[in-house]
Amino acid sequence: MARRLRNALLVAVALLWLLPTYLVVVNAFTAADEYVGPRWWFTSFALFENISTAFATADIGQAMWNTFLYSAGSAFIAVVVAALASFAVVVMPVRRPVLWFWLIYAGTLLPLQVFLSPLFNAYAVTSLYDTQYGMVLIYAALAVPFAFFVVRNYLTTAPKEMREAAQLDGAGWFTMFLRIHLPLARGAMVAAFLFQFLATWNDLLFGITLSTSPNVRPLMAALAELNGQYSGLGPPVILAAGLVASIPTVVLFLSFQRFFVNALRLTP
Amino acid sequence: MVAVTGRAAPWAARTWAALFIAPAVALVGALLVLPFLFTVYRSFFSDDGLSRSWVGLDNYATLVTDESFLRSLLNTGIWTVGTLLLPVLLGLVIAVATNSSGWGRFTRFAVVLPYALSGSVTAILWNFMLQTDGGVNEILGLLGLSSLEQPWLLEWPTNTFAMILATTWQATGANMILFLVGLQAIPTETIEAGRLDGAGGFRLLREVILPQLKPISIVVIGISLVGSLKTFDIVWLLTRGGPGTASETLALTMYRQTFTLSRYGYGAAVAVVLTVIVLAASWIYLRRQLRSDD
Repeated sequence: MARRLRNALLVAVALLWLLPTYLVVVNAFTAADEYVGPRWWFTSFALFENISTAFATADIGQAMWNTFLYSAGSAFIAVVVAALASFAVVVMPVRRPVLWFWLIYAGTLLPLQVFLSPLFNAYAVTSLYDTQYGMVLIYAALAVPFAFFVVRNYLTTAPKEMREAAQLDGAGWFTMFLRIHLPLARGAMVAAFLFQFLATWNDLLFGITLSTSPNVRPLMAALAELNGQYSGLGPPVILAAGLVASIPTVVLFLSFQRFFVNALRLTP
Repeated sequence: MVAVTGRAAPWAARTWAALFIAPAVALVGALLVLPFLFTVYRSFFSDDGLSRSWVGLDNYATLVTDESFLRSLLNTGIWTVGTLLLPVLLGLVIAVATNSSGWGRFTRFAVVLPYALSGSVTAILWNFMLQTDGGVNEILGLLGLSSLEQPWLLEWPTNTFAMILATTWQATGANMILFLVGLQAIPTETIEAGRLDGAGGFRLLREVILPQLKPISIVVIGISLVGSLKTFDIVWLLTRGGPGTASETLALTMYRQTFTLSRYGYGAAVAVVLTVIVLAASWIYLRRQLRSDD
């Protein structure tokens, strides 16, 4: 009896949770000119028209490509930079490794808002404002602290004997890094890459602050504009754009669930 | 820290170390640490972007009497309490209820799916749900609850509560996963021992399971706390902090003061207050937890 009650409750919770997603999918399929209020069932098959309207008016396609560049580029840079720094702090004879650790790690403790206005001014002065380079640069910097944290933690578990053996073989630091520690930390680096890829993909704040033109603007900023300025297009178009924007994150998330569980536990 | 062995002279090793560490320090230093320091510095000035004059602590003094700032502080507090109560508690309950249950897999999937969406997409989706002619009112009407229909986003504090519910929908999945990880780490012997002692149901939960979930709870509450203090995306897209500035959180107040009103000094002061709160919350919380572990 209690068991049945529990199962019924669980199913009810699941349905409650799926309801908004269901409504969104149904209404994203509704033809924009037929829309008069939320639909409960598929009445037309206009998803692709809705998507192409969104792509044409708010340049969602360009925005997706921009965001892909930023997410992949900045996550890659951050992970490599973080791996180098982790190697230095963990393996090499650095003076005051704790100080360096905190200097790099401090970036994740501060709320993002505290960086915004000086970055905006500095970007305006250095002509990085509203450029793709500028966006990759800031996203990479934002990604370094957490990637560093993950990779460093992983490297501290590596046995010291590996380093000593490599030194006896006469390997230099760089060779040691490339041959031993880089392959060793591969799993942690992939996890950090995926995590930062998603974080950049989902960013809104820096997108709306440091970019403005459709050629540079990332996806979430474009969606925000679609939701605000172009709200006259109607919910079906906006919801269809939201669905397209979520495909990469949902696919990544479902295929790498275990990575995210592990990365999640380390989030500051 | 590490004794250098082998052929490399210490200074050569240090030069190499500096080369390895330099890119990370340069990126973080130039794009995060320096802007942070500049924000702190600027909060002591009256600055409209064109001219700047030293005003000492005036910006902070003005904050204390600024009603829209105090409202924003209150909203941030509501967000913090709300996201600790709902997504964290629901995450725990659903994790416990679905762990070792056939239907649990289905429920877990349904709850975790929204976690894969960004804050902006969640906002777009809930914008559709919470409009006056949107999904939620439609559902209420169908259920014969028309008296509950209302403009969810147009009045404070209803809109703040509605947005917290939207966040709950999105964020519960992550907390649930973390609690499940914690549950699976509990040795089954302790639960069996509890059962042998005659504990069942809620007593088993309270006396055996929950105490062992403490380490993961610290992580979940910490993440939730810091995240809720920085709430921005969903409010920006759903209400822009409105009506007026009624539903602003600190993150939005800082943004409006700085970029809409060009009050750079004042906006910087809001950012500093936010930073102090975030750091203090993490520190107090972690310190208390670490101490009670001893």
